[in-house]
Amino acid sequence: MSILRTEEISKQYPGCLALDQVSVSFESGKVNALLGKNGSGKSTLVKCFSGAIQPTNGAFYLDDEKLSFHSPSEANAKGFATVYQEMSLVPSLTVTENIFLGKMPRKGRFVDWKKAHKMAGEMLASMGVKINPKEIVSRLPMWQCQVVEITKAMSLHPKVLMLDEPTSSLASSEVESLFKVIRELKKQDIIIIYISHKLHEIPEITDTITVLRDGKFVGAVNTKEVKHQDIISMMFGEVSIRQRPKELKVQEGTVLEVKDLCRKDKFENVSFSLRKGEVLGIAGMLGAGRTELLKSIFGADPYDSGEVWVNGQKAPRHASPITMKKLGMGLTPEDRKNEGLILIHSIQDNLCYASMEKTARGWFEDRTMRNRAAEDQIRDLQIKIPDKAAPVSSLSGGNQQKVVVGNWLNTNPMIMLYDEPSRGIDVNAKQQIFEIMWKQAAKGISTIFVSSELEELLEVCHRILIMKDGRITGEVNPDDININELYAYSMGDTDE
Amino acid sequence: MSKNKIKNLLLDHTIEILLVLVVIIMTVATPTFLTPANILNIFRNQAMKGVIAFGMTLVIISGQIDLSVGSQVALSGVIIARFCQDLPAALGISTDAACVIGIAAAVVSSIAIGWIHAFLQHKFNMPAFIITLASLNLLYGLAGRICGGFPIANVFPGWFTQLGVGSVFGIIPIPAVILVLIFVICYIVMTFTTTGRSVYAVGGNAESARLSGIHVFRTKIIVFAAVQVMCVLAGMMHSAQVASGSFSFGRGWEVDVISAVVIGGTSMNGGIGKPWGTLMGILFLGVITNAMTLLNVGVYMQYVVKGLVMVMAVFLSMYQAKAKA
Repeated sequence: MSILRTEEISKQYPGCLALDQVSVSFESGKVNALLGKNGSGKSTLVKCFSGAIQPTNGAFYLDDEKLSFHSPSEANAKGFATVYQEMSLVPSLTVTENIFLGKMPRKGRFVDWKKAHKMAGEMLASMGVKINPKEIVSRLPMWQCQVVEITKAMSLHPKVLMLDEPTSSLASSEVESLFKVIRELKKQDIIIIYISHKLHEIPEITDTITVLRDGKFVGAVNTKEVKHQDIISMMFGEVSIRQRPKELKVQEGTVLEVKDLCRKDKFENVSFSLRKGEVLGIAGMLGAGRTELLKSIFGADPYDSGEVWVNGQKAPRHASPITMKKLGMGLTPEDRKNEGLILIHSIQDNLCYASMEKTARGWFEDRTMRNRAAEDQIRDLQIKIPDKAAPVSSLSGGNQQKVVVGNWLNTNPMIMLYDEPSRGIDVNAKQQIFEIMWKQAAKGISTIFVSSELEELLEVCHRILIMKDGRITGEVNPDDININELYAYSMGDTDE
Repeated sequence: MSKNKIKNLLLDHTIEILLVLVVIIMTVATPTFLTPANILNIFRNQAMKGVIAFGMTLVIISGQIDLSVGSQVALSGVIIARFCQDLPAALGISTDAACVIGIAAAVVSSIAIGWIHAFLQHKFNMPAFIITLASLNLLYGLAGRICGGFPIANVFPGWFTQLGVGSVFGIIPIPAVILVLIFVICYIVMTFTTTGRSVYAVGGNAESARLSGIHVFRTKIIVFAAVQVMCVLAGMMHSAQVASGSFSFGRGWEVDVISAVVIGGTSMNGGIGKPWGTLMGILFLGVITNAMTLLNVGVYMQYVVKGLVMVMAVFLSMYQAKAKA
């Protein structure tokens, strides 16, 4: 049996203490859950173990050997392997090639294919799965890719195996197959660290639970001896929540109605309505179908059946963002760098793309109108910029997000859809984004706000829909529910 | 700060500076270089590839490419020549009318081909590189079929040949006038219109453009059709100049056309580029070619030099992007 433990390990980032004297330990032969909400420091801890970063203070020990890594390859050499949530496989190569990438067995100067396929086959068999080593990875189902990924990590003969959200891209039917593999791994004498946001998986697969919050160690327990509610309060603590301004009232009149909207494998029978000036939250974990739903409503993706009504007018069956823009809808996408902005172009241009027709006279652009449109947003949204001709890529995440929002506000929308607008931006910028939503709501603009940070939804919204596995499973009033209940609810616990 | 400004100014105008340098060197080297006749000659020689280069600028800024341009030059030439040759007898109309119908037919077919390029690229996400490489062969073959493998000579009406050999005020070649005219139109479209803005947006990030409610498909149709129509214009000038239509016209032109665009600073990744830069690229290539001819550099060596210039241009634009960042 081996033990990995940390002794008062700390990591200081500029302006942020990510890990604060954390002392934890993990045993081999067990699946050890490492839990915490975003920003709790769990990724930072894993990055220390995987050699991606070095702790500022403190140290960690594997079987009383003090370790410090300066690179991921050093960590690998010492028996630390990580399976990240983004797949690192080469889809066009075979399973064997992926497992032995960069270290294929050779015979003289040539690759020994026979031996390679045999070794890969044996390794896969020892995981208890049947995957043909000669198969091309892109033809495998998602969970088998994840198994190949784990096999690749296992080919390093690790003592510590870190699994970062291994089920995040799997369908629920595939999760059990992966769990079988993980249980098989437990029989080998290795330390497994399991990170997941899906709390309902934790009792099923893990043996111990270690919780971090705000960079500090909160507690470690045996999975069997703990109730769900206790884990949630360990993770979130007592949260103080700022409320939206009380004078912000929902107005009369329905502006958006979604009726029985379906898209195969994405979401099913989604129905809801949105009133004038309302801020409606959609709560749900990653992969619940929230992004897909917003995109289908906005006409960016197709849907199979159902109807979308805007202001009493039925949107055409195969609407495009162009149509929906004309109907008064706007969407700030989840992935702002690749979907919301044109990074190589200027701030000015990025603020005027959606409103291109509005800032032109016929075929010709109106410079004065364009300048005014950009300057208005820069002032109203307090976008901090050196010069509006600078490329938008030079801005911080928060300011980039404001540019995406400003781009749409320039179209004078009636309905704004925000997909994870607060992801990757600092607390201050978040607050400003929320204030923008409230300000727009006061003007009568209706908002749909999707976030996996449920605290934010409680803070910002009039009403919250719960989305899980592609379905709307409930509706709550933020005034009647606390954060722990909301988390439990949206993770699919119905036992309270 | 001001040092930085000067650096950026130099980086932004490298091609202009190089062009002036070559002109100065040539003026000193040979007295025949800087004469009105020679300068106008450069414009005339560059006019045909030049008009295509402006179309190509739009295509490349939108993030696409069209390698079929040379074959469209040939195809439009032989279509017009064929119409001029056969229609008057068949329909009992004048050569003038037949020529006008021929031009219309060439323009319509070129727009259709541009639309097909855009359609295949957009709807099936096929690489434009492959689609237009296929068209390069396909259109070349069609042109050969239409002219029967031989040039169709001496069939054009007088006014048509003026497009290639005529001049304004007895001195300025008509092709040079057309080149400048196309530059002005291209400049206006790309600088002042929503169409131009859409072209930049689609090339900068097609998905962001789509989600901003910009007509991505329509924009692609416009650029792919525009470059093909420019090829018809070039094909007309070229056929007029040599008073015949042949499938062998325009062979290999895509290289010089794309060179001019790249030398002018347009990014092959899309989203960045200016018609002014392309004009500079066209003139730079024209001056270099003219200089080598005046200095009696052999034709094969000329290819070597043009190849090196293109590599240099790409290298330079990579350096510019890095130095400014």
